[in-house]
Amino acid sequence: MAKNGQTIKRKRRRNVLFGEGGIDVFFLMIVLILLTVGLIMLFSSSYTYCYYNFNGNSLFYFKRQLFFAVLGVVAMFVVSKINYQYFKVAAIPVLALSFVLLVLVLFVSPPPGFEQFHRWITVPGLGTFQPSEISKLAVILFLAWDIDKNYRAINTNELSNAAFAEGFNRRPGRIKIYTKTLCLLEYAIIILLTCALIYKENHVSGTLLVLALGVMMLWLAGFNSKAFIVVAALGVAAVLLVVVKPDILPAHAQPRIAAWLDKDYDPLGARWQTNNALYAIGSGGFFGVGLGNSKQKQLYVSEPQNDFIFSIVCEELGFIGAFLIIICFILLVWRGFVIGLHAKDKFGALLSMGIVLQIGLQAALNIGVVTDVLPNTGISLPFFSYGGTSLLMLLGEMGMVLSVSRYSKIKKV
Amino acid sequence: MANKSRKMLQNRAMVAMVLVCVFGFGLGIFGLVRAGLVKGEYYKQKAESQQLSDTTVSAQRGTIYDRNMNVIAQSADVWKVYINPSKITKDEVRQNVAKVLSEILGLEYDSVYEKCGKSKYNYVLIKSQVEYDKKTEITEAVKNNKGFSQIVGIESDVKRYYPYSNFASTVIGFTGTDDVGRSGLEYFYDDVLTGTPGRVVTAKNARQIKMSSSYESYYEALQGGNLVLTIDQVIQYYLDSALEHAVVDFNATYGYGIVMDVETGAILAMSTKLDYDCNNPYTVANQSVLDKIEELETDEEKNNALINARYSQWRNRTVSDGYEPGSVFKCVTAAAGIEEGVVTPAEMFNCRGYYKVQDRMYHCSHREGHGVEDFTTSLANSCNPIYIEVAQRLGAKTFFKYFEAFGFTEKTGIDLPAEYSPTANVTYYTGDRLGAVELASTSFGQSFQVSPIQVVTAINAIANGGKLVEPYIVAASLDENGNKTMETQTTVKRQVVSEDTAKQVSYMMEETVRRGTAKNAYVAGYRVAGKTGTSEKLPERRYYIGSFCGFAPANNPKITVLIAIDEPKSGSYYGGTVAAPVGAEVISQTMAYLNIEPQYTDSELANLDVTTPNVVGHASSSAKADLEAKGFTVRTVGSGSKVVSQNPASGQVIPKNGVVVIYTDEKAKTTKVQVPNLLGMTVAEANRVAIANGINIKISGYTSGSTNNSYRQSITEGTEVSAGSIVTVSFKSSVDVAD
Repeated sequence: MAKNGQTIKRKRRRNVLFGEGGIDVFFLMIVLILLTVGLIMLFSSSYTYCYYNFNGNSLFYFKRQLFFAVLGVVAMFVVSKINYQYFKVAAIPVLALSFVLLVLVLFVSPPPGFEQFHRWITVPGLGTFQPSEISKLAVILFLAWDIDKNYRAINTNELSNAAFAEGFNRRPGRIKIYTKTLCLLEYAIIILLTCALIYKENHVSGTLLVLALGVMMLWLAGFNSKAFIVVAALGVAAVLLVVVKPDILPAHAQPRIAAWLDKDYDPLGARWQTNNALYAIGSGGFFGVGLGNSKQKQLYVSEPQNDFIFSIVCEELGFIGAFLIIICFILLVWRGFVIGLHAKDKFGALLSMGIVLQIGLQAALNIGVVTDVLPNTGISLPFFSYGGTSLLMLLGEMGMVLSVSRYSKIKKV
Repeated sequence: MANKSRKMLQNRAMVAMVLVCVFGFGLGIFGLVRAGLVKGEYYKQKAESQQLSDTTVSAQRGTIYDRNMNVIAQSADVWKVYINPSKITKDEVRQNVAKVLSEILGLEYDSVYEKCGKSKYNYVLIKSQVEYDKKTEITEAVKNNKGFSQIVGIESDVKRYYPYSNFASTVIGFTGTDDVGRSGLEYFYDDVLTGTPGRVVTAKNARQIKMSSSYESYYEALQGGNLVLTIDQVIQYYLDSALEHAVVDFNATYGYGIVMDVETGAILAMSTKLDYDCNNPYTVANQSVLDKIEELETDEEKNNALINARYSQWRNRTVSDGYEPGSVFKCVTAAAGIEEGVVTPAEMFNCRGYYKVQDRMYHCSHREGHGVEDFTTSLANSCNPIYIEVAQRLGAKTFFKYFEAFGFTEKTGIDLPAEYSPTANVTYYTGDRLGAVELASTSFGQSFQVSPIQVVTAINAIANGGKLVEPYIVAASLDENGNKTMETQTTVKRQVVSEDTAKQVSYMMEETVRRGTAKNAYVAGYRVAGKTGTSEKLPERRYYIGSFCGFAPANNPKITVLIAIDEPKSGSYYGGTVAAPVGAEVISQTMAYLNIEPQYTDSELANLDVTTPNVVGHASSSAKADLEAKGFTVRTVGSGSKVVSQNPASGQVIPKNGVVVIYTDEKAKTTKVQVPNLLGMTVAEANRVAIANGINIKISGYTSGSTNNSYRQSITEGTEVSAGSIVTVSFKSSVDVAD
């Protein structure tokens, strides 16, 4: 055992790049591939849009994105250097910050043209950012930290020793209060409160993402499977309810549901973006029209650098290119899981898995929207869509996964 | 414990991974396959339809030329002016647009103003086929008026021009606004004439701004092929005007005419009068038809009548309609009889005025009978009984063999649309159905129907030494550089009768013109062979078709001519009266035009017109003496010593004793005389009256013998003309022309 440990240690020494333990090069490669392809596609898709909207400055978005990408890669390596145990310290403050910002954003007047949507906060010098981005990390970080603390209790029938619970538990009776029940309750409140606040922004996709992410984190924590069957049933019921009775949704989301169900609905309005995304995908066919040759980016796909960038990817690189990019996302999730499964502790495991899950879910949701499998909701494609602060955060999170990987007992290629 | 929890985490992670892959990325891949591959083509087309602006570059339709490369039909670039009313926001702009456009294009202000108000549309046509100068004015106006460039647009259009309007219009046809041939040659040769339109496909972005030129593809337009017709513009003009006069003179419904080149079968002229203007095919040209339509009660009736009138005037009746050829067909019976040796031109017959076949009595046109006559004279007299006799000698089977050989059972194959299609036992009797009665009536051209083109083709075979040729009207097609892409060769279908037989029949026909029922087809100086015919119009038998078919010169035939006057309603309806003079007019003019030297007989020479000499510049007195010595009647105007001018000018053809006015004074140039009435006179009478009035006549038509009568003068009575002017007077005989 000791001998074995020694060899591992020696191997690790040999592979050390930064500080203690080597980062997972495989994961890093995938991140860099996605980042590079994403940057190229942002350049290609935003070119025309910028030409017409920034007085011929075709590189406007690309330059900014490139700046943040460089900054982000630096941040990623810095973060990856930090022993991830220190991230635990941030769990509570980040969650608190998340709530503060989520409340604050509701009082910030939205940018012109988006009066319904309280999603953005402007930071002078940095541009706008979405507090919901921080919320996702906050939920992951907090859950990873707290579940790690209570992991044993969650997976056993340990009675709670909380002051109010002890009274119940000491008295002989049918009602016992388990620690895992209280944990579940606590997590549910945090997740649902975050969701409620994001929902209040008129941000349905963000809400759903945090909800799905939270549920999956709890699933990984090991809570009773039966509870998840109930959650799944509730989810299906909610979807059916929305389809049958879309008017329970906020006003801005209703036409999007209608446009998703009826393919001829308001072609110049609610379906314009989706239709033009489909035209782009259709134009690309199997092999694509070639990098830079998209015609749909010529102002047909509105804001082709944002949520619908994937349609331009499909047009230029074809089905084959799009498929390979999806494979990259899947590999990213898979590698994140592998890192997590071999992590030193549950905190590292859940942190790594949570982060890649967040990226995977977001990418899948985005592609579903672009291909009209899901209703149109404003959700961006990680590594591809324009957004400096969001890219910065994303790469920071990648740094966190890499930090976990330093302590992960896997072959790091 | 640690192991167990590790296992649990692994399982749960596996489930999470599967969920993300299946319900997350699985859905995305499903969507990609659906949108990119399964429905890819559909979406691609949708994308292209919004991205591409596809401009058609019109290919010009080919030109139609006559045989001497005169332009008969030509396409030219014109323009369409349209507006985009959705860009008009203010009423003052609307008023201004309406004002400018209506003024330039000559439209009503109100209607343009109304069109400007269709703010839901972004394309409203204001006027098509706008000519170059108007288009230029519009372009100027767009430049000078602010905001017009967003509203007023111009795009290319095509227009077909027919410079000769009514010229052979039923033959040429016309095109629709879509530039597609609708009738006549335009229709028949649409494939050749139509070019392949080119396209400019440019990509545009969502703001309709053209993308860079690398997105542009250009497909060049292929110009349509040109046609060279066998039609000769000059001969066609002769035929057109002769027929038009005849239709008016004889108050006929229609006049048909064909002039064919004997050896090749090329159609030199083909006309159906009254026809229409190819430039305005939808306008009914015949005023009396229009008047009748106007008298109808309901709008629906009027509309239907108008549509019928249009189809009627577009119809090329020389090719599409059937009629009973009547006595013209006797030439065919004669040819068959001579070829089979059952009769010779010199054989003597006795016409008693009737012929009985079974219980049917057939009368000769001359009720009392022509008495004893040879076979040649029987054709000149158009004697029915003799032809019944000849047909019976031949027998139904042999007779029908010739009926078939002369092409009466088949289409001629002329390259024109809607050729009359003969049908066995409907439009004619086949050999086995020709009983004695049917054979009798068929022998002199009744009880069957054929088209004028069939008749002229058959008679042409007699002119052409017995060789039946296929008529054709397009000599060649040319590409845009003038290279021949197709050239029609003469098709000799068969030798119908021997050359010798053809010669004999030709001689009989010549005699028919010289002394028989076709004498009005006589043309001095040219040996005309011909035959006339008159037949009742089926089914009512109220009206007649009088026709003439013949060729000239008989000794070396160049042209075969068919003239048919449909439903003449002013007195005589015989082919000899109504059609033969038209034939003579066309033949005499065409012969001269084709530079065929006239060969006059002695009696013709006696009547011959002379050419005026030049006396301008000569001394007045010597000029007068010279002219008088040549037999002219001379009038001197003025008292100068020198001739300043003369009328007729030198080189004009006038009668031998015609008037020449010589002017010796600049001032006296305008001496006017009034044209007298010259109708209903013999040649001598007309000449006398003319000279007495100080004008000259040019004699046209049948003038030999004393039975002629003038029936037309080229300048109407009472018109003021310069003294010495020439008036053409047409003569014909009204005696012994019944066939």
